[in-house]
Amino acid sequence: MLLGYIFWRLVWSVPFFFAASLIAFALIQAPPGDFVTSFAATLAQSGDVVDEQRLEALRERYGLDRPFLTQYLLWISGVMRGDFGISFEWQQPVSQLIWERMGLSVALALGTLMFTWAVALPLGIYSAVRKYTVSDYVLTTVGFFGLAMPNFLLALVMMYVAVVFFGADVSGLFSEEYQRAPWSWAKFVDLLKHIWLPIAILGLSSTASLMRIMRANLLDELNKPYVTTARAKGVSEFRLLMKYPVRIALNPFVSTIGWAFPQLISGAVITAFVLSLPTAGPLLLQALLSQDMFLAGAFILLLCCLSIIGMLVSDILLAFVDPRIRYR
Amino acid sequence: MRTRYRVSATALAAALCWGGPALASGWAEAPSLAEQVEAGTLPPVAERLPAAPEVVGGPHGVGRYGGDLRFGLRGSSDHNHILRMVSPQGLVRWDPDYTTVIPNLAESFEANEDATVFTFTLREGMRWSDGEPFTADDILFNVNDLLLNEEFAPTPTRYQAEGEPMTVEKIDDLTVRFTFAAPYGDFLAELSSPLGQHPVLYAKHYCMQFHPDHNDDIDQLIAEFGAGDWRNLFQQQCGDIEIPSRWGNPDRPTLDPWVVTEPYTGGATRVVMERNPFFWQVDEEGNQLPYIDRLFAPIAQDVESLILQIIGGRIDYAQRHIDGPANRPVLAQNREEGDYDFFEARAVGGTNMVLNFNLTHKDPEMRALFSERDFRVALSIGMDREEIIETALLGQGEPWQGGPFRDHPNFHERRSTQYLEFDPNEANRLLDELGFERGAEGIRQMENGQPLRFTIDVIPTLYPEHVDILEMASQYWAELGVRADINPMERTFFYERTSNANDHDAAVWVGNAAWVPGEIPQQIVPVHHDSRWGIAWSRWYNTGGAQGEEPPEHVQERMRLYDLAKATVDADQRRAYMHQIADIAADQFEVLGIATAPPRFGIVQNDLRNVPDSKPSSWYYPTPGPTLPQVWWWDR
Repeated sequence: MLLGYIFWRLVWSVPFFFAASLIAFALIQAPPGDFVTSFAATLAQSGDVVDEQRLEALRERYGLDRPFLTQYLLWISGVMRGDFGISFEWQQPVSQLIWERMGLSVALALGTLMFTWAVALPLGIYSAVRKYTVSDYVLTTVGFFGLAMPNFLLALVMMYVAVVFFGADVSGLFSEEYQRAPWSWAKFVDLLKHIWLPIAILGLSSTASLMRIMRANLLDELNKPYVTTARAKGVSEFRLLMKYPVRIALNPFVSTIGWAFPQLISGAVITAFVLSLPTAGPLLLQALLSQDMFLAGAFILLLCCLSIIGMLVSDILLAFVDPRIRYR
Repeated sequence: MRTRYRVSATALAAALCWGGPALASGWAEAPSLAEQVEAGTLPPVAERLPAAPEVVGGPHGVGRYGGDLRFGLRGSSDHNHILRMVSPQGLVRWDPDYTTVIPNLAESFEANEDATVFTFTLREGMRWSDGEPFTADDILFNVNDLLLNEEFAPTPTRYQAEGEPMTVEKIDDLTVRFTFAAPYGDFLAELSSPLGQHPVLYAKHYCMQFHPDHNDDIDQLIAEFGAGDWRNLFQQQCGDIEIPSRWGNPDRPTLDPWVVTEPYTGGATRVVMERNPFFWQVDEEGNQLPYIDRLFAPIAQDVESLILQIIGGRIDYAQRHIDGPANRPVLAQNREEGDYDFFEARAVGGTNMVLNFNLTHKDPEMRALFSERDFRVALSIGMDREEIIETALLGQGEPWQGGPFRDHPNFHERRSTQYLEFDPNEANRLLDELGFERGAEGIRQMENGQPLRFTIDVIPTLYPEHVDILEMASQYWAELGVRADINPMERTFFYERTSNANDHDAAVWVGNAAWVPGEIPQQIVPVHHDSRWGIAWSRWYNTGGAQGEEPPEHVQERMRLYDLAKATVDADQRRAYMHQIADIAADQFEVLGIATAPPRFGIVQNDLRNVPDSKPSSWYYPTPGPTLPQVWWWDR
């Protein structure tokens, strides 16, 4: 039953994948101008001047003067062969550029997810059980603050405070001496010393919202008759809480795990930009801004694949957590 | 008239006279290189330097070796920042004052009387950064196999005269001769621009492996590097002018003071360059340059974090990206903590903002409106520039229509200072005379009964003060009964809409200009895509009449004069041509300026020596390159 379901989901994702790639390619091209115009404009902003003939030559070289469908077909047929093309801006193969940054992106996204859950779930449960007490109010206030504060602003403020009051640089993920060093225990420790701040900044708003969701879900469950029944039968309060209401309240969390997958790339782009993190987000943003077609296109395809996989994983996990859900 | 330069040889002779002990024992080198020589991994300094290295210096004299120079790169398309720091090492360069072209890689150069033949003599014993000799063969490879090779890229007009590409011959290993079909006096200035480095950009012995004429197995390399074709492969591995991959390959030999060790690639978080052990300049005591060991450039994704780094004292030198007036207060406030101070980056001339009405507008009625000279005059005298300068420019500058400053030899009084006086009565009279009657809400009407209204395109992120100036100007014009809508837009869209599509009514741009050789005088003659007052004419000029629109006689006359100015080798004659162009431009009064371009600024750490307190700021004089960062040193 389950295997069949997974099989059909995978089959359906193939046409979806192509449709998404076409739309992605069209959307990247939608803004006026092309990579060459954007290249000239960027240089002009810094006071540099480009030769006009040179721009025309670039346009011809990159095939930007060809019709849209021709460009798309050339690109997607390359992708089918595993060739994602080269980045116009960097002259480097796109796959190399993307994989270079994926490792740290995954580390950051997983770290943020774990941080969020580790903080949000216990606090959410606590504030539901201790509803309308002083501690609930405090947590609620902190939660709303976290929700209201944009991540990138918090990042800027933290950087300013760190520089002006502590003389410390909190941008990036490594100290200077470890940036290009091969992986070692010392480099890992150095990473841990830096990564906590972006994790805390990125995690704050999602922690706040998860906490509120957990509290609300649990409050719905706590007054249900089965809780009263269990309590009447003498189940200990902690075991009762964990075994039944919390398990049901977790449902929305599990169904949103799928959303976390594309976050590996596109999560908190602006914050990563501000903090100069060597993750995939800023590279994606730059590629979109400069209309670096193949690089941006490859990113969007990857996002699309991760979404498909993520939703599938979510659905399967949901079946395990909530026995009421069955596949038909 | 023959021009001849033997700068380095005479300077060296002078150095020999004063030098004494340092030179008597030969050349000196950085301690780190001396260690390598000791260990036998590097030849001695005398073998690494040319027989007669160029002798250079700075305002604070002979320095000491050592230290890093930290400057901040932005995340993408900031390759020219690196270029400005190492300076485009071409055959010739601008002197520090931006007035004369002097020899650089070439030991000397010579032009014939009618500027058709240019002969360059190279330095004997000069070497690429990997120790291979730099000879005339490198120049032939660059010119014949790449520059004139249409399969690689179209030949830039810089290397053509009257549509004919130049030819290059090797006289001997150290002498090359460039020949043009027609006189080309601006050639040396063009070679001094950052865009003129092509004849010496690539080391033949290394880059020939990426060229199909020199490597039969090129397909294997193309596949290995995932490049698609040989042109991409070549540019990926050996770079090109104005693309990031120029700084992406640590193996590529150069003639720069520092060479890349940690490249500028898509995934990079910093760029590091280390001293070139074969660099070909020395100070007056015979110490091989550069003084500073490493250039160290952390990559910040946005400008705000760059400014934070400066405040935190983590940047030693900065001008690019941070030189806007808005950043000045916060940088000034933190001078003490950051241990830095300001230097002046003075404008070479011109105006901070120039307003271009679209004289080749696609809509005939709008075109007719903008083509009325009196309409443009009315708008010019209809705004109070003194007031705009006080309010939007914090009092910096004097009213100015554009063109070189008063103290510049190219200064042209009428072009720069006509119609600056605020005179709303006269402006109203002119508009009345043109027959634009006032209609509803006091807005004047065009002949077809439509309100007199147009939009001005502007990039707010380029120079934020442009929007402030336009806000004020449009208020003055509203009182004249003319409605101007300010249309801020994203920079790519701006380029697409104005320079490519010619869809704009009017647009603003920076109007820095000194009308010197090598610079494009785009506000007095429409020959560039930044000439937004005559895009169709500029296209006609640049395509040899194939596209665009044939310009009226007074524009064609200026185009002819511009070609003559580029051809002449005589500086006075060239100025006379530029002034004839300026005469016509003043008669026509096509573009409006506001105020003299204010000096920008940069910051430099307090104990960094030999950095001039004031220097020209321009792309054609790629600041700070011609001030020679290789002579900067740390007084610590």
